[in-house]
Amino acid sequence: MIDQLYLLILVPFIVGITLLLHPRQKGQEQQQKGQGSLFAKIISIAATAVTFYLSCLIFIGGQNVSNDIFLIDAVNRFIVPAIGLFGLLTVLYSFRDNFESRYFGYILITLSASLAAVVSNNIVLLVVFWGFLGLTLYLLIGLSGEKATTAAKKTFIIVGGSDAVMLIGIAILWFISVEGSGAGLTLNSIKAFRITQINVPLGLWQPGGRLAIVAFLCLAVASFAKAGAMPFHTWIPDMAEVTRVPVTAFLPASLDKLLGIYLLARLCLNVFKLNQSMMILLMLVGAITIVAAVFMAMVQHDLKKLLSYHAVSQVGYMVLGIGTGVPVGIAGGLFHMLNHAIYKSCLFLCGGSVEDKTGTSDLDKLGGLAKLMPLTFVAALIASLSISGVPPFNGFVSKWMIYQGIIAGFPSGGVLQVIFLAAAMFGSALTLASFMKVMHAVFLGQGGKRGTPGTAGAGGAVSGETHWTKWVPQIILAVLCVVFGVFAFQFPLKYFILPAVPGVQFSGVWQPGIATTLMVIGIVLGFVIYLIGRIAGSKIRKESVFIGGESLPEDVRVTGVDFYQTIRDIPFFKVMYYLAERKTFDIYNWGKNIVLFFAGILSFLHTGNLHTYITWCIVGVVILLFVIAR
Amino acid sequence: MFCAKESCSILPLFVAVPLAGAFLSSLLGKTSSKISDFLGSLVPAILVLLSFSFIGLKEVLVYKMGGWIPPFGIVFVVDGLTVLMLVTVNVVALMSTIFSISYMEKYTDKWKYYTLFLLMLTGMNGAVITGDMFNLFVWLEIGAISSYALVAFGTEGEELEASFKYAVMSSVASLFILVGIGLLYSYTSTLNMADISRTLVAKPNANLINFVFILFLLGFGLKSAIVPFHSWLPDAHPSAPAPISAMLSGVLIKSLGIYALVRIFYNVLGVAGGGRVLLVLGLISMVLGALLAIYQKDLKRLLAYSTISQVGYIVFAFGLGTPLGIFAGLFHLINHAVAKALMFLNAGSVVYATDNVRDLDQLGGLREKMPVTANTSLIGSMSIAGVPPLGGFWSKLVIIFAAVESKHWAGAFVAILVSIVTLAYYLKLQKLVFFGKLPVRWENIKESPVLMCVSMIVLSCICIALGLLLLPQLRSVFLDPAVEVLKNGVGYSKAVFENIK
Repeated sequence: MIDQLYLLILVPFIVGITLLLHPRQKGQEQQQKGQGSLFAKIISIAATAVTFYLSCLIFIGGQNVSNDIFLIDAVNRFIVPAIGLFGLLTVLYSFRDNFESRYFGYILITLSASLAAVVSNNIVLLVVFWGFLGLTLYLLIGLSGEKATTAAKKTFIIVGGSDAVMLIGIAILWFISVEGSGAGLTLNSIKAFRITQINVPLGLWQPGGRLAIVAFLCLAVASFAKAGAMPFHTWIPDMAEVTRVPVTAFLPASLDKLLGIYLLARLCLNVFKLNQSMMILLMLVGAITIVAAVFMAMVQHDLKKLLSYHAVSQVGYMVLGIGTGVPVGIAGGLFHMLNHAIYKSCLFLCGGSVEDKTGTSDLDKLGGLAKLMPLTFVAALIASLSISGVPPFNGFVSKWMIYQGIIAGFPSGGVLQVIFLAAAMFGSALTLASFMKVMHAVFLGQGGKRGTPGTAGAGGAVSGETHWTKWVPQIILAVLCVVFGVFAFQFPLKYFILPAVPGVQFSGVWQPGIATTLMVIGIVLGFVIYLIGRIAGSKIRKESVFIGGESLPEDVRVTGVDFYQTIRDIPFFKVMYYLAERKTFDIYNWGKNIVLFFAGILSFLHTGNLHTYITWCIVGVVILLFVIAR
Repeated sequence: MFCAKESCSILPLFVAVPLAGAFLSSLLGKTSSKISDFLGSLVPAILVLLSFSFIGLKEVLVYKMGGWIPPFGIVFVVDGLTVLMLVTVNVVALMSTIFSISYMEKYTDKWKYYTLFLLMLTGMNGAVITGDMFNLFVWLEIGAISSYALVAFGTEGEELEASFKYAVMSSVASLFILVGIGLLYSYTSTLNMADISRTLVAKPNANLINFVFILFLLGFGLKSAIVPFHSWLPDAHPSAPAPISAMLSGVLIKSLGIYALVRIFYNVLGVAGGGRVLLVLGLISMVLGALLAIYQKDLKRLLAYSTISQVGYIVFAFGLGTPLGIFAGLFHLINHAVAKALMFLNAGSVVYATDNVRDLDQLGGLREKMPVTANTSLIGSMSIAGVPPLGGFWSKLVIIFAAVESKHWAGAFVAILVSIVTLAYYLKLQKLVFFGKLPVRWENIKESPVLMCVSMIVLSCICIALGLLLLPQLRSVFLDPAVEVLKNGVGYSKAVFENIK
């Protein structure tokens, strides 16, 4: 088992390093740009396949491991194969693209570091791998060319900065745990600094409780920044807009969620005993994230940016679920994390296929792709129904559990319960609304006219379904969406989630089997009635788009982009959108402005004048004399 | 490893070899630049080998100059701390001279450069190895004066101005140090460091110690660029040729500044962290340096301000005064020496390729054209910014742990926030120099010559590997002995006198 764990981490790492050190032939690479490096692709497919196989073995093996380095228990066991799967699918999806071998090297190293972070028992080791992921993400974004450098920098400053904050959380944790045990604070105690050994109660009035709260908040910041919860989410929309789609699908959409929420769950389940106020804080962060991000998502014009705001919004559900502190809520949060990784990377991959075929991700220019790319359409439809929480898909089940968690978390009811429930349900409804727009604008609706400049889609440059290396991952993920929804209790919950969170009690009844059967029967019945009608000879009237009774000129298309433009006109939202688009709520901008303000003052003081500088020295000595030798 | 007696007799070589090298370079270098190139790299290589032979030293070695017994004669003392400094200084010096072979082709009078370089190295090695207060001052001046000349080596207006400022400020510092030494001498009637320490323990005088403390704090604080004595550094370090910048920022301010500071405070005066003074000055330095660094438009100036900030971390850690704090300070000193030397060599490589363009706004997109420079620079930046698993991350981690251990919560938080700013300005550097759009005028730019690449690659490998120093096996032979020396405090004098044979 231990050997397998070492292999699991070392295989992708060694292959990745090999790809990075593999000498680049400059002239040749220019010529073969259409092909990319075939060698790199094949070797990385092989490496990810082996990694996935190993990760499945570790999951199926089912042993618990807890030594100085590794920790495998019910909380992280199911995350290992999930990471392995996303690694394999991402590499497969990138197979046809002409990416350089460095790209595959970075992806493999990312895979290795993520697996290592999830299975490490020593907290310092966890931070090492966790922080290293920030660097690989930076490099992966940087590969997307010059337009991505600003986003890469911003991403790394937020993610890397939160890692630094995490360090101090860990230092405090170490202080509390070692001081409590009386073993003395030495460097050697860091070596044996295990997650499983720490159990710290939070609380303003307990001994050490206040310190523990600071430690918890510092660690929570790191997990929020990684997963993309507010207010540390701003890097996701920025980077998603300019980065290669597989990178977005691989890191912010799936791996970073798995890691961030894993850490949060670990903190809440093993490391800290949460108190009421911390739970409410977590739930508030969750609720605000859900609603605010979904509002931003609704008005986006760019497919990738829209999806990325949903990636932020969904994190809110996970944080909300874990914040309830009730087994069913935590289980719901963890399940939602898994589900989200599946449907969101499916959506990003579909978006990538669309962009690949049409050359744009601008919703204004897309339309009518359903006929041309049926497989992508089906996958995207299933995934978007999942993310909107429509039964019987997987997103519904996990949201359902989170609702139950909120209800169970406040046994006496109260205003907060109503607010959190409303935020969760409202967010879900708005998500559905937003994806109606996406489906309409991208796959349904009108395609662009043949030869019309600036329009793609039906009759444009597009020809046929995307390559199989691209649609296979999409379909696999879409099938997982269905399976995780319909057979939720038989498969994913039973093997993945419920072992991790003991004592889950469902208060509501949901039998996906029966429900699905009924739904399928309903749809089939409807279709039969439709067919009977057709046979009986009733006519189907085909109408052009209805726009308030006005007639549509030949050269104008109706896209779905401005579906929710009216929200902007409501006074309150108008101000909020205005401020949000000026990045008023962006914590990165705040930090930047504050730092530059002080830097400006200091820079002004450094005149380069020798007299001034010597004066400073003398003044410094006088102050020191006053302080010390008074 | 040599046996104790033999080791003793090779101690003067640390000074004699570079001094002889400087002499030979000035004598023979005029005839052919090959000779001075060869000498310039051979001397640090010998010194690296010599200093490595001392690693794992169990006892304190004392060498008596001319056989005079201290306190009457001058002694050289080698203990754990000295070994650590010698290794760091000479490794960085070796990489800088290898880099210089190609880099200095652009300048005339290479032999003068090597003569001055080796004299500076003599000064640094001498200051680290000496056990005598006035002797320390002499080495300090040798190192400092040769560095004034080296800063002005390009003889452009900007360089001369920077050198002048540096010379004036540094002379002020030297003056204060000299006054401090004079006061100590008048009170203790001795110049031997161990003897001074013994006398001060025997008849303590708080007022004198406090006053001398302040004099030395200004003197050595100015040499190590602690705020508010930092203002010469952002002019002097960028103006020097790149390998000299690497030496100045990497090791000179550490051996002549921080080393001398902590050696005297801990081992001679016995004031350890000096109350909270070092702690506070360290915090101010790290904040100011980082804030100013993020505002810079000049590649090497940004690095110079970054040095001030990182020196702040080191001083902060020493100011904690706990064993873990000392450990963190020494560890960060090594990490920063290597990483900052690497960053200045990278900057030199960029400047070499672009023909002296240091303005960040005019650079960009060099990643594809100069892969070795770009990747080594990324490693150096990430190490200073404290990104795992590079060396700088580990020392930052230990600094934070040390601050938390001694319950300096505010200090720990400031250190963390500054590290975020540090990350930000190094990413700014990366973005403006190596990522982004390649300006048309650099279309035909080339990677630097092989020897420059070699020294950058070696330094970046050291950057990656430095985290390994935390492993117990390596720690016990390299860092722990140095920590012991400082932890021992005024016990230093006993250790020295016991080992005089």
